Amino acid sequence: MAAPDPALRLEDLRIRYDERAENAPNGVTFAVAPGEVVLLLGPSGSGKSTLALALNGLVPHALAATLSGSVSVNGIRTTDAPVSRLSQEVAMVFQDPDAQIVTGTVFDEVCFGPENLCLPVAEIEQRAERALRAVGLWERRFDNPDLLSGGGKQRLAIASALALDTPILVLDEPTANLDPAGIDDVYAVLSDIVAAGTHSIVLIEHNLDAAIDLVDRVVVLDRSGALAFDGPTRDVLAGNAHALAELGVWLPVATLAALRLNRGGVSLDPLPLTSGELTHALNGIRSLPDLPARAIEPPATAGPAVSVRHLTVTRRKITIVRDVSLEIGGGDFVTVIGTNGAGKTTLVQAMAGVVPPPRGTVSIGGLDPATSDARALADHVGFVFQNPEHQFLENTVFDELAHGLRVRRTRLSDAEIEVRVGEMLERFGLGQLRDVHPFLLSGGQKRRLSVGTALITRAPVLVLDEPTFGQDRERANELLSLLRELHASGTTVVTVTHDLQLVAEYASHVAVMHEGRLLAFGPTDEILSDGALLEVAGLVRPPLARALRGVTAHPSWQGVTRLADLPGGDA
Amino acid sequence: MSAALDPYSTRPGVTARHFLHALNPLAKIAGPLPFMVYLLFVRDIATPLAFACLALLLVTVGARLTPRLGIALWLGLPLVVGVLSLSFGLWTDASRVDHTPLLFQLGDYRFFLGAWLIGLATALRLGALLSLALIAGLTMTGPDLVRALVQHLHVPYRIGYTALAAYRFVPRFRHELDGIRHAHRVRGIAGGRGPLAALRRYLGYIVPLLVGAIRHAERVALAMDSRAFGAFETRTERYLVPLRARDWIFAAAFWVIGASVIVGTARLG
Repeated sequence: MAAPDPALRLEDLRIRYDERAENAPNGVTFAVAPGEVVLLLGPSGSGKSTLALALNGLVPHALAATLSGSVSVNGIRTTDAPVSRLSQEVAMVFQDPDAQIVTGTVFDEVCFGPENLCLPVAEIEQRAERALRAVGLWERRFDNPDLLSGGGKQRLAIASALALDTPILVLDEPTANLDPAGIDDVYAVLSDIVAAGTHSIVLIEHNLDAAIDLVDRVVVLDRSGALAFDGPTRDVLAGNAHALAELGVWLPVATLAALRLNRGGVSLDPLPLTSGELTHALNGIRSLPDLPARAIEPPATAGPAVSVRHLTVTRRKITIVRDVSLEIGGGDFVTVIGTNGAGKTTLVQAMAGVVPPPRGTVSIGGLDPATSDARALADHVGFVFQNPEHQFLENTVFDELAHGLRVRRTRLSDAEIEVRVGEMLERFGLGQLRDVHPFLLSGGQKRRLSVGTALITRAPVLVLDEPTFGQDRERANELLSLLRELHASGTTVVTVTHDLQLVAEYASHVAVMHEGRLLAFGPTDEILSDGALLEVAGLVRPPLARALRGVTAHPSWQGVTRLADLPGGDA
Repeated sequence: MSAALDPYSTRPGVTARHFLHALNPLAKIAGPLPFMVYLLFVRDIATPLAFACLALLLVTVGARLTPRLGIALWLGLPLVVGVLSLSFGLWTDASRVDHTPLLFQLGDYRFFLGAWLIGLATALRLGALLSLALIAGLTMTGPDLVRALVQHLHVPYRIGYTALAAYRFVPRFRHELDGIRHAHRVRGIAGGRGPLAALRRYLGYIVPLLVGAIRHAERVALAMDSRAFGAFETRTERYLVPLRARDWIFAAAFWVIGASVIVGTARLG
C-alpha cells in the first residue's frame, strides 16, 4: 500500500542568509504526512526558525537568502509560488504576539487573512466565527486585541491562522513570550486542533514538558544545521537522550531527572518523558537510595541587603503593589514569581529605585532610593532590564562598561577604569569585542554586557527583570549559570521570572506576588512544595515537583523540587 | 452583523441626532477644505470668527461631545485664541498702529488697540482652521478614513492598510520609549543638566528605539505576508463606507453656507 502523499516535503534543504557565511539548515530532508504533528528541535543557530520561514516561502521570497534543495507544500514548490499563494496551504504563528496583530478588533483580526484572499463576506464571517469558537475567543470578538492577555493574543494568532483554512499549520516558539497560564491556554487550544486531526502541524518549541503529549514525531537539527534525528517521539527523545543533551537540546524535565537517577544507580527503563511517567516509574521501584545531603548554601551575611516596609505603589490611580514588607538577606538569591499583572516588576523596580518608591519604604544598603540620585544608588544596586538594548548608552562595549564608573561622584583615574573594565571584559568573555558597538553584539553577548554594566560599580545587589523572557533554553541557562556564579561569590541576586523549574533550580528564596500583595516569602523548597499557595497565586507546581509529589511509595522523596537534590551528581 | 461588529461605527453614546458621525469622512473633509485654504489668505477678523463659530456650532449639534470636550471647545478654545491674540499683538510693529487708542503701557513699551486687533485676526485664523478640522477630526476614525480613501479615491489598499497596521505601533513605541528612559535614568546620565544635555539624552533614545522599531516592523510585515496580504489587486471590504446622497448634500450645503459667510463678511467689512 502506498503511503499518502506528504503535506510537506523538504529535500536536501540548505539556506544561507545573504549576510551569513554558513548554511542553516544545512541539507535537511524530511516529510510531514497529512494530520501528522512534528516537533522540530535543535540548539540555537541550527536554523529552526529559518526552516519554519521557508515552509511558506517567506524565505527566500521576503527575506534575502540563498535556498538550495527544495520545499514542497502539497506538491507546490515554494520557489515557484508567491507567499500569498503558499499562505493558502501553510499558516504561520510566530513568537511575538504583539507583532502579529494588525487590526482594531478580535473579529477583524481573524477576518484579515480571508479578506486578503478576496473571499465573499459571508464566508469570511463564517470562517472567523468558526476559528474564534475553536480558540475560545468568540465571546471577546468585539474587544480590542490589546485587551487580551499574552495567552489570549497568541490564541488570536492561532485563530487567524485557522481562518486561512490551510491543511498545514506552522508554529514557531508560540509560547516563548508567555507566562505559565498563557502557555496552558495555548496548549489547550493546540491539543483541540491536534485531536480534530485536520492539520499537519510543525511545531518549534523549547518547552517540551508542555508539548510532549501532542507530538507524533520529533525531528532534531544539530549545531551545524544538519539533520541529527528523525523518528517517533519516544524513540528519539528516550532513545537518544544523552546525544540530545550533548547537542544542547533541552529535554523534558522528567527525562533529565531519569538520566540523573540512572547515574545515581536508579535505573529507569524506558526513560520517562512526562511527569506522570516519572511518577509511575518511581512508584514501581521497591527501594530508592537516600537523597544526597543538600549542598551547603553560601552563608548569608549579617543584616538585610534590601528591606521593604509597607510598600504601596500606585500609578495612574491604580494600586499595583499593596502594602508589601520583606527583608532580603545579604547573599540570598531571591526570585519573585506570580502571574502577569501580579506586580512583580513594579516591586523590583521600586526596590532598585528604577521607579522611586514612596519615602521611607525601601532601604537598600542603608540608602533610601526615594531620596538618593541614580549615581549614588548605582554603588548599592545594579538593575538589568528585560531588553538589554534599552540600557545601552555608549558607542563601544568598553565605554558602555566604563560609563557606570565615569558618572560616579567619586571619580576613578583612567588607569583604574581601564583595569576594572578590563576585568569585566574578561569575566564575561567580551575581551575581543571591546571596540564593537553594543548593538552589533549577538543576543547572548548583549545580555552579558547588560549584566556587566550593572556589576561594574561592584554593587552588592543585582536586580534582574525577567532575564530569561523570550530567550531559548541555551541562553537562559548560560545567564542563570552566570547568576549562580555571582551568587556563589556573595552577590545578592533578585530576579523576576515565570519559569518555576528555573526558580526551583537556582533560587534560595521565593517571593510570591498575587494581585499586588505579597502572598508568601520564604525558602524555595517550602514555597514550591506548598501546592495550595501556588494555586491561590494562579501558578502551577514546576514539573519535577509535580512528578515527585505523586511518588507516594517513597514519602521522603515527595518534597524534592530540584534536579540537584536527586542522587546522581552532575554529568 | 457587519455593522455591529464594526468597532468604529459603534461609539458609545452616538445616536441618530449626531449626524456628523454617519457621514462619509471624505464629505466631512471636502466640505470645509476649500474654506480652510481660503482662511490662509484672509486678514480680517469677521471671516475667521464666523467660520470658527459655524464649525463649533456644527460640531456641537452634530457630534457626540463629552462635557469635557464641550468645555474645551467653547471655553478653552476662545481662551487660547485670546492669549494668542495678545502675544501675536506684542510682535506687531507699534509704529504702524500708533494712531489707534493706547491700551496699556509698560515703561517704554506701548500696546495699541490696533496691535491687538492684528494679533486677534491671526489667532482667530488659527482657531478657525482648527475648528474646521475638528468637524472631520472628532467624528471619524483612522480606519474609516483609510477605507473611504481606498474605496472612493482608489488609494492602493496595500498602502492604506499598511498605514493602519502602523497605527498599532504607536502605543508599542510609547511603551518602549518609557522602558528606554527608565533604563537610561538608572544608568546615570553623564553630561549634567541644561538644554544641551537634554538634547544629548534624547538623541541617546533614538538608536534603541529605531532598532526596536525596525525589528518590530519586520516581524509585522512577515506576519501580514503570511496571511496573504497583497495577494490580489483588491481585497474583500467587509465595511463599506459608501458615498450617499446625504454626503453630497452635506458637502454642497457646506459650500453654499461657507460662500455666503464670505460674501456676508465682505459686505460687513
